[in-house]
Amino acid sequence: MNQADVSKLVSQLRIKVNPRLRKFRNPGGPEERLNKLRKTVTALIKHERIELNYPRADEARMYAERLISDAIRYGDCHKTTMEMADYWLTEKQLVHKLFKVLAPRYQNYNVSFSRLYKAPRPYPGDKNLKAVLELRGNPFPSVTPDTQSNRNLIHNVLLDEAKKEYRQKKYEEIASKIEMEAEKMKTTDAATKETSV
Amino acid sequence: MAASLMFRRINVALANLERTLVELLNPRGPPPDAFCLVGVEGYRVSGNEPKPFSIKDIIGDGLLWAVPKHRRSLEKRLKRKFGDPEYVNKLILPKTTLRVCNTCGDDHEVGVLCPTCYKKVIEETKLMQDKIQEELKLEPVETEVVVLYNGEKDDKPSEFWQGKRIVEMEKERPSWFSKNLTQQTTQQPATTSDVKPSQLG
Repeated sequence: MNQADVSKLVSQLRIKVNPRLRKFRNPGGPEERLNKLRKTVTALIKHERIELNYPRADEARMYAERLISDAIRYGDCHKTTMEMADYWLTEKQLVHKLFKVLAPRYQNYNVSFSRLYKAPRPYPGDKNLKAVLELRGNPFPSVTPDTQSNRNLIHNVLLDEAKKEYRQKKYEEIASKIEMEAEKMKTTDAATKETSV
Repeated sequence: MAASLMFRRINVALANLERTLVELLNPRGPPPDAFCLVGVEGYRVSGNEPKPFSIKDIIGDGLLWAVPKHRRSLEKRLKRKFGDPEYVNKLILPKTTLRVCNTCGDDHEVGVLCPTCYKKVIEETKLMQDKIQEELKLEPVETEVVVLYNGEKDDKPSEFWQGKRIVEMEKERPSWFSKNLTQQTTQQPATTSDVKPSQLG
């Protein structure tokens, strides 16, 4: 069969795509929904890390991932992709960023281009779930703690203690060696004095 | 004197006549009313009498509500008080989804970022974002942005930052913000202007 593989015709995203899109509260109709999401996608591309309500973040993430994926896949000479970029990015300086900064950055990634975290909420307070949506490879400090170099983890605590013990032993050895040498020196000095006398 | 004596005699005679008349009319009956305490009635003060009972005195201008007609069953009362564990649970149950942060020791929900660590990070992030936007303005963004703190620009030769937009923060790098992040973002600028071809299967 001389037929293109369907799975390769569209960009394969590395995130979960919801089978049913969220409607949101949009008195202006379905267009209003897309306008809302355009705002969010533009903000994400601009600031690389944004904090917002979870459903909107999850929804906007899919569009942002698709946009970046298409930018990598087709480049900036593809008419449809450029139209899409023009539609989704309301601030036009970001169209340059999409093709010149983000596409090269994510070219060799084999994971999603964005990350979605659940943000803490004040208690007692608003019960709606908040989210932090960010692009990978951003210049900001990581929101997740550094788990590799955590001194409080049990194996690190044990290793630290073992290190301490080993050092103490070594110091004792060195101290005893110095004492021995000092004694030796004393005895040799005394012997030389006696012979000279 | 004579007149009063006369009046008295007449009075006594009339009383005798009355007694004899009563005895004649009711020979075996009870004593007549004259012997009852009829005179007490005359001494009562008018206005001290109890008023007749009226429901209006109690409610006044208000109105009377309906009252429950049937007893509410125990099951129903309990369900209303404590709810249902499957549907609406009204009992206050302990949360088992709280953990202690390994970095700062604060409590946080499972799967949700630690509030204290996150606050620290997001404050720094906002400062950096403001600084980056101040630097970039509305010009087209064509290169990666590197954020450097005080005294970090001179540490490395200018070739190291080639192809990068340097944004300088006018303060010292926070101790918790690893410097290695700047190294991760470095990459050589593209030498070719080729556009990646579309890969159809």
